[in-house]
Amino acid sequence: MFDLFREISQTLANNKLRTFLTGISVAWGIFMLIVLLGMARGVVNSFEGSNWSKTSNKISIYQGRTSQSYKGYAEGRLITPEMSDMEYLKENNPDYVSDVTSYIYMGSTIFSTSKDYISVNPQGVYPYEQKQDNVNVIAGRFINDSDIRENRKTIVIEEKNAKTLFGDAKEAVGKRVDAMGLSWLVVGVYSHEWRDNVYLPFSTVKLLKGNDRDVSNLTVEIKNVSTIEDGESAEKEIRNSLAGKHEYSPEDKSGLYFYNSFTDYLKNKTVFGILSLSVWIIGIFTLLSGIIGVSNIMFVSVRERTHEIGIRRAIGAKPRNILVQILAESVVITTLFGYVGVVLGMIVTQIISKFTEGTNFLKNPTVSMEIALEVTVVLIIAGMIAGFFPARKATKVKPVEALRDE
Amino acid sequence: MATNIIELKDINKTYPGIVPLHVLKGINLGIEKGELVSIMGASGSGKSTLLNILGILDNYDSGEYKLDNVLIKDLSENHAAELRNKMIGFVFQSFNLIGYKNALENVALPLFYQGVPRKKRNRMAMEQLERMGLADRALHLPGELSGGQKQRVAIARSLITNPTIILADEPTGALDSQTSKEVMEVFRILNEEGMTVVIVTHDPGVAKATHRIIRIEDGLIVPEKPQIYV
Repeated sequence: MFDLFREISQTLANNKLRTFLTGISVAWGIFMLIVLLGMARGVVNSFEGSNWSKTSNKISIYQGRTSQSYKGYAEGRLITPEMSDMEYLKENNPDYVSDVTSYIYMGSTIFSTSKDYISVNPQGVYPYEQKQDNVNVIAGRFINDSDIRENRKTIVIEEKNAKTLFGDAKEAVGKRVDAMGLSWLVVGVYSHEWRDNVYLPFSTVKLLKGNDRDVSNLTVEIKNVSTIEDGESAEKEIRNSLAGKHEYSPEDKSGLYFYNSFTDYLKNKTVFGILSLSVWIIGIFTLLSGIIGVSNIMFVSVRERTHEIGIRRAIGAKPRNILVQILAESVVITTLFGYVGVVLGMIVTQIISKFTEGTNFLKNPTVSMEIALEVTVVLIIAGMIAGFFPARKATKVKPVEALRDE
Repeated sequence: MATNIIELKDINKTYPGIVPLHVLKGINLGIEKGELVSIMGASGSGKSTLLNILGILDNYDSGEYKLDNVLIKDLSENHAAELRNKMIGFVFQSFNLIGYKNALENVALPLFYQGVPRKKRNRMAMEQLERMGLADRALHLPGELSGGQKQRVAIARSLITNPTIILADEPTGALDSQTSKEVMEVFRILNEEGMTVVIVTHDPGVAKATHRIIRIEDGLIVPEKPQIYV
C-alpha cells in the first residue's frame, strides 16, 4: 500500500503543473459544494434553532369573526375563546389534545417604583408561555404553578424595563413594583432580542379582570401526530369541538382563528429539505465538471505513458496492477485537492459565520464533521469514477508497446 | 542430449487484416540451457514476431512453445505477466528505463510487481548494480547516465528476478562500437556464469560474438550449413 503511494507520488511529482491544474478544478468544485452546503446549513440551523421547532406541536387559537350564518345567528358575530374551552377541549378530544394553556392581556397598565415607571400591556400567562415565547430568564425564575394556584401577585419583566424601574437588572429580583393599586413582587428578569412583555400569573390577571370568562388565546398541545395529514385532522377535530361549543359552523374557518404550528413546521421542513437537496445537486454538478477534468487529464496521462505502461507490463505488471495504479492516482488527485477545497470552504464559511453572527436568517453557516466525512466519501467515489475509464484504457496497453521505439 | 530450455515446434503466426499476413510459417527451434545465441534476420523476416513470442509478449496461432518445460500457450494476461516477470529478463534497444525513477528503483521495479518489500527489493537491486559496476550511479536518473551505463542498468533489471533466460532485442542498437563491445562482454560473462542468453540483432558483429547464430528468413529458420573447416 505504502509502495503504491510512493509510485503515485513519483508520477504526480513528475507532472507537477498538470497535476496542479487538474487539482484546481476539483478543489473549486468541492469548495463551492462546501460553501453552498454551509449556507444552506445556516438557513436550516436558524430554522431549527427558532422556537418554531421547539413549540411545533401546538395549535394556537385566537378570537375571530364568523363569515357564515349558522343556526339562526347572523354572520359577522365575534367569537372569543373562553376560559371553559380549556377543560372542554381536554375532555372532548382526548385522542389529540394533551394539554391546553392560555393567556390574557390585561390592557394598558402603568408599573412604577420610586425611581421610574413603565407603561405596558401585561400578559397573564401559564408557565408554558416561557417556552412559547422563548423567554431566557437571566435572574430569578419565570411564573410557576404555585403562582397560578395561589393567585400570587408576582411579575416577570424584561431586562431593559428592569433597568428603568430599578437601575440594575440583576438586583430587581425580590423587589416590589406598584400597579393597579397593588404591590407586585418581581420574581424574574429575562432577556430577549426584541420582546419586552411583562408576565403575570394567569389566575391573578383573571381575578383582576373581574372573572370575565374571555381569554385572549388558547394554545393546544397536540399529541399522536406525525404527518401533515395528522396535524390537519387534529385541527379539524378541535375546530369541530369549538364550533359546537360556540355555536358556529364547523366549516367556517374564520369563526375562531387557528394557527397550526405543527403543519406549518412540517411544511417548512419540507421546504428546507428541498433546499438542502438542491444545494447538494448544484454542488455535485459543480464537482462533476471537476471530475470530468480529472478524467480527461488521466486519459491524456495514460496516452502519454503508453510506452511506460508497456515497459511495466513487459517486466511483469499485471493488468490489475496498472488498473489500480491509475485509479489510485486519480483518487489521490481528487482527494488531495478535494481537501484543499474542503479546507478553503471551511475557512470561508467560518468567515461568513463571523459576519452573520447574531442575525436571524443565517445561524452558524458551517459544515459539520459529518458533512466533511460525507464529502470524503464523495471525493473517493468521484476519483474512482474519474479514473475508471482511463484506467481501463491503460489495461488495454499491450506489453509489446515496450518494444516500440518512441 | 542436453535439455532444451527453449523448445519451439511448428510455430505459426498470422496477423489478421484485410490482407492477412502470415509472418511465422512453422518455426522449429531448440535452444539449450546455458547457450549464448543470436537470432538474425532482415526486417520483415519475422524476427520481431519471434522475439515477441519468445518473450511471452504475444500469442501464436498454432504449434508449441515450451520454456523450461512449461507450455506457453493461450495464457491469460495475468499468467503471462507472471511468467514474464519470473522467467524472462528483457533487455531492449532503447533501454526502456523509466525516466523519473533512479537507477536503483528501475532495477527494483520487477520485484515491486512480485510484492517484495521495498528494503529487500532495494538491497537486491543494489547487488545487481554492483555486479554491473554501477553502484555509484544507483541514485542517478537515467537521463544522467551514458548509453552504456543505461544498458547495464537495464541488464541489472533483467537479472534481478533471476530469470530462466535473458532476451535481448538489439541491445547494442543504440550504442557506439566501443560501448557495444563492453555490453557484449557483459552478456558473455553472464553466459559463462550459466545464464541462457538470446540476442536478437541484425548486426553481424554482435552475432559473431555469440556461440550460435540462428538465421530467420521469410518466416522460417534457415537450416544451419555444415561448417567447413579448412
